[in-house]
Amino acid sequence: MIRLPHLFPAIARRAAPAWALMALAGSVTAQAAEEPARRMGLNPPASSYGQMFDDLFMMITALISGAFVIVLFMLLVPVIRDRDRKWGDGTGKPSHKASFDHGRSLHDKRFTAVVSIIVFFVLDASVLYVTMKDLREGFWNIPAPDTPDVVKVEVLAQQWAWNFRLPGTDGEFGTADDILTLNDMVVSVNRPVQLNMTAKDVIHSLFLPDMRLKRDVNPGAINEAWFEPITVGTYDILCAELCGFAHYQMHAKVRVLSEADFDAWVQEASILALAAHDESDTEAQWAWDWKE
Amino acid sequence: MKGTTLLMASAGLLACLAPAMVRAHSEPNSDPNDGAATEEGHGEGASVTPAAGKGDGPHTHAPGQLDDLIISEGAWLIAPGADWFATRAAAGEARFSESETAAEVTEDGQGVDEFESGWIDSEGEYVFRYDEEEDEFAYWQWVDADTLTSGRLLFVQYCASCHGFDGAGYGRSAQHLRPPPRSFQQSTFKFTKVISDYLPSDQALAELVKAGLDGTPMLPWALSDMQLADIIQYFKSLSPEGTGWRDVYSEISDTVEIGADPYASDPAAGVAKGRDVYHRIGCYSCHPGYVSPAAINTIAGKDAGTSYRDDLTYPKATRSSAFDVQGHYVQILPPDFTFHSMRSGRTARDVALTVAAGIGGAGMPQWKQSEPGGAGIPDDEIWAIGHYVRSLVDEYHNQPAKRAAFMAGLRNGD
Repeated sequence: MIRLPHLFPAIARRAAPAWALMALAGSVTAQAAEEPARRMGLNPPASSYGQMFDDLFMMITALISGAFVIVLFMLLVPVIRDRDRKWGDGTGKPSHKASFDHGRSLHDKRFTAVVSIIVFFVLDASVLYVTMKDLREGFWNIPAPDTPDVVKVEVLAQQWAWNFRLPGTDGEFGTADDILTLNDMVVSVNRPVQLNMTAKDVIHSLFLPDMRLKRDVNPGAINEAWFEPITVGTYDILCAELCGFAHYQMHAKVRVLSEADFDAWVQEASILALAAHDESDTEAQWAWDWKE
Repeated sequence: MKGTTLLMASAGLLACLAPAMVRAHSEPNSDPNDGAATEEGHGEGASVTPAAGKGDGPHTHAPGQLDDLIISEGAWLIAPGADWFATRAAAGEARFSESETAAEVTEDGQGVDEFESGWIDSEGEYVFRYDEEEDEFAYWQWVDADTLTSGRLLFVQYCASCHGFDGAGYGRSAQHLRPPPRSFQQSTFKFTKVISDYLPSDQALAELVKAGLDGTPMLPWALSDMQLADIIQYFKSLSPEGTGWRDVYSEISDTVEIGADPYASDPAAGVAKGRDVYHRIGCYSCHPGYVSPAAINTIAGKDAGTSYRDDLTYPKATRSSAFDVQGHYVQILPPDFTFHSMRSGRTARDVALTVAAGIGGAGMPQWKQSEPGGAGIPDDEIWAIGHYVRSLVDEYHNQPAKRAAFMAGLRNGD
């Protein structure tokens, strides 16, 4: 009869090549993950509140991981400490029957209560508090109506594209110099971008992973969102709500320009928009009253 | 027991707290009574439907509908002409052969059979057929009901949201959309790269659908060849009787031929030549001019005093479009290549093909010469324009600062 404690080192020895291979695979994966093109997870945040939400995510991950380790430890300790040390001593049968209770004793009840309270305050309440604080300072902190230098964008989603409308040089929506783009949102760095979004057909969801922003876009409703880009560059816009056969192809770009570039772009795009404007084509004018 | 109760109580507390806190922290200027509804956007003052109530605006027309998904009858669609068969036979496709008795005409009352020579397809897909009404011979293709049904099912899934369930180019997602989606009841196409006197061949249509049109919701569709073939047969069958693919006089052509790129080894020479050709043949009358008026005069050999439109550095919108949306003929702004994205111009070849074939239904004419020395420009000049336009895109598109400096230079008359 092989004794169980003797079995573990044997398995460990035989599996040595496997362990080595796994370690190698791990290190290769870790190296590959460092390359920007293959990096797993999100790119570095490109919006003002991006780091805050990354920190929140890390905090939740750390707390949950801590709780997981503690629970695992509490599970493993009795498994090892109270194992049947005489098992297999010639009879081939367990030496005694396992015993358990239902936790009816006062000690158990007190223990459960204390653990519950600690878990609630350490995990739930703190996560809830920080989440609410971050949402208030980030996601819901939509620029007040009189904030200067806000880039306002009306977003009209459809199967399977994003229509964007900027107010042009006059700052008013629904005028001839409104800049219309498709799948190409142009904004300025270091200026808050405020979005008014609706959809023509089905529910879509505007997802800017680099800005850490995601919000549903519903037909018949105007949903608001905002972000403030802090890095010049071109970033992805995705649809995060299954919206039909080509949902996976419904992507666009947000181009974050420097402030000077953006101003020049708006000037030029407004003039071109005036040239393209057709007053008699009423259906092409889909701007709505801006919702602050 | 107490532990469980406590756990449940804390869970309940959480459930009550969470929505209340979300509400408390939503933006301060929202109506406090609106609560969760603010998130859904039923805001005060904002019109919920885009541009609702703006006269003859959107949503006044209902998108087209379909009665039935199943098609019970096949359709005769016009097929390519004798040249197409001859080309394929010459390429070694044994299924096509020439016959003295390809089509049979029975003259009424006299019992005399006449035969017309033409091509025969041993697989029976294409038929050389006599149209008694029009007294014309033509090659036709019989598309069976199963193919059409399969095409319609795929069309409904992939195409109908924009092109409409009835294929009339006005689906739910086509509202407000400019340029408007193609109506398959019109048989006019912009970017098939087929000279606009002809209907595009299946091959040309398939290439367009696979490549998509940049800057529009016409995506590069990831369809299998079989799916694509069924969809194409289906939307061809949407031509009304006597038009498009149901017209005995329609002729079908493949993508326009412009030969090999003469500037493949020296693109810079193509760019330089293209710059001259672009400003010699007057592309600047609709698209922007990218050199000064004085330079145009030099290039085109005009009098030094010749003047051009004031807004020469901007494109000029024209209402020469054949495409209407519910009766309104839409205006099209020709692209400024340094600013707008081209629909179908990813390579110099794409641009050259579009220039050669023209844009059906729009102001862009065919530049390919029908015969050497005819109207239009020779192929090497078409290629040169392709290289020049691509160079404008590569250099200035998405480079706002560089482009602004370039255009400012032109506008200041440097």
